[in-house]
Amino acid sequence: MAHPSQLGFQDAASPVMEELLHFHDHALMIVFLISTLVLYIIVAMVTTKLTNMFLLDSQEIEIIWTILPAIILILIALPSLRILYLMDEINNPHLTVKAIGHQWYWSYEYTDYQEIAFDSYMVPTQDLAPGQFRLLEVDHRMVVPTEAPVRVLVTAEDVLHSWAVPSLGVKMDAVPGRLNQTAFIASRPGVFYGQCSEICGANHSFMPIVVEAVPLKYFQDWSTLMLEDA
Amino acid sequence: MLRLVSGLVSRRLTPVCVGGARAASHAHDVSPSVDMSKPMYWDRTDVPLPDKRFKDELSAGDKSLKEKEKGSWKHLSNDEKIALYRLSFHQTYAEMHRPSSEWKTVLGGVFIFLGFTGLVVIWQNIYVYPPRPHTFEPEWQQKQLQRMLDMRINPVEGFAAKWDYEKGQWK
Repeated sequence: MAHPSQLGFQDAASPVMEELLHFHDHALMIVFLISTLVLYIIVAMVTTKLTNMFLLDSQEIEIIWTILPAIILILIALPSLRILYLMDEINNPHLTVKAIGHQWYWSYEYTDYQEIAFDSYMVPTQDLAPGQFRLLEVDHRMVVPTEAPVRVLVTAEDVLHSWAVPSLGVKMDAVPGRLNQTAFIASRPGVFYGQCSEICGANHSFMPIVVEAVPLKYFQDWSTLMLEDA
Repeated sequence: MLRLVSGLVSRRLTPVCVGGARAASHAHDVSPSVDMSKPMYWDRTDVPLPDKRFKDELSAGDKSLKEKEKGSWKHLSNDEKIALYRLSFHQTYAEMHRPSSEWKTVLGGVFIFLGFTGLVVIWQNIYVYPPRPHTFEPEWQQKQLQRMLDMRINPVEGFAAKWDYEKGQWK
């Protein structure tokens, strides 16, 4: 989750998110350089007392400020496309989870081996245990094993929703009548929070997503428990 | 080059003969029309030398000074040099660049609007917003902070990364 007065991204919990962080650093550095240059030029132009009323064309600088931006754009596009194709690679998931958006909660189904299905409602503010996070906690978290490629099939039962977990670098729209596939690998154990990212009615801000990544053994214990409860 | 410029300048400011008739019919509410097709005087730093000198009609004293100017300038006193300048030009560079008090008005206006916004914000806080959720209380925030550290939230560079777990304090 985000920590107080956070400015940047949350720490990555998946390899794809790490790549996205590094790409963002790269692109932002370029943006800062260009902005600083432009700001300097603006200040220089505004504060000078010199004038030149006979400024006409200048081929050299026109060539430079056409070629250089083209090069900069290529330098941004290459890593961008690399990540784009990286995200689309075949990844042979160990586990498939279905995330189904409803008004206003998520439901998860693990149907690879046995049938585990449960709803995930936000814990209302008045029911929070001391220290829990307002508008982020849910009653049943989506538990996944660490270091395992997980496929998530996202859909919706009624209106558009979107399943997003920033620290895993995942966002996928939940469209009724459609199955959207996304995947992630949780590189470290932990609890990762996200919120519904497509306006879906009155309680759109109150249907969070919580993914709990645990070592495989604990995942097996959890799934056994869920089957017993069901 | 400068002739070309002044020609360009005067031709861009299109000639106004129309103004004359208009001025005659209601001279009280239009600005005096200027015939742009004749040589003009101006005070500008980017075109420093205008079409004509500032003072059009020279008195006898002025004329004799102009004659003296044709000789060696070493014979001119400082006052005479200044008088010659004032014949040719209306303002000095210093006078052209003189600061105005406009910034005080602008800044004052900005502060007035900021102050008014502050009043609106205060009114909002009293009459519009619902009560703050209880999770903002200091005790809750403490427990929340501790829970975030226990859960190792953002342990790489973000939150838990800045806590020294051995010493039990911030790094």
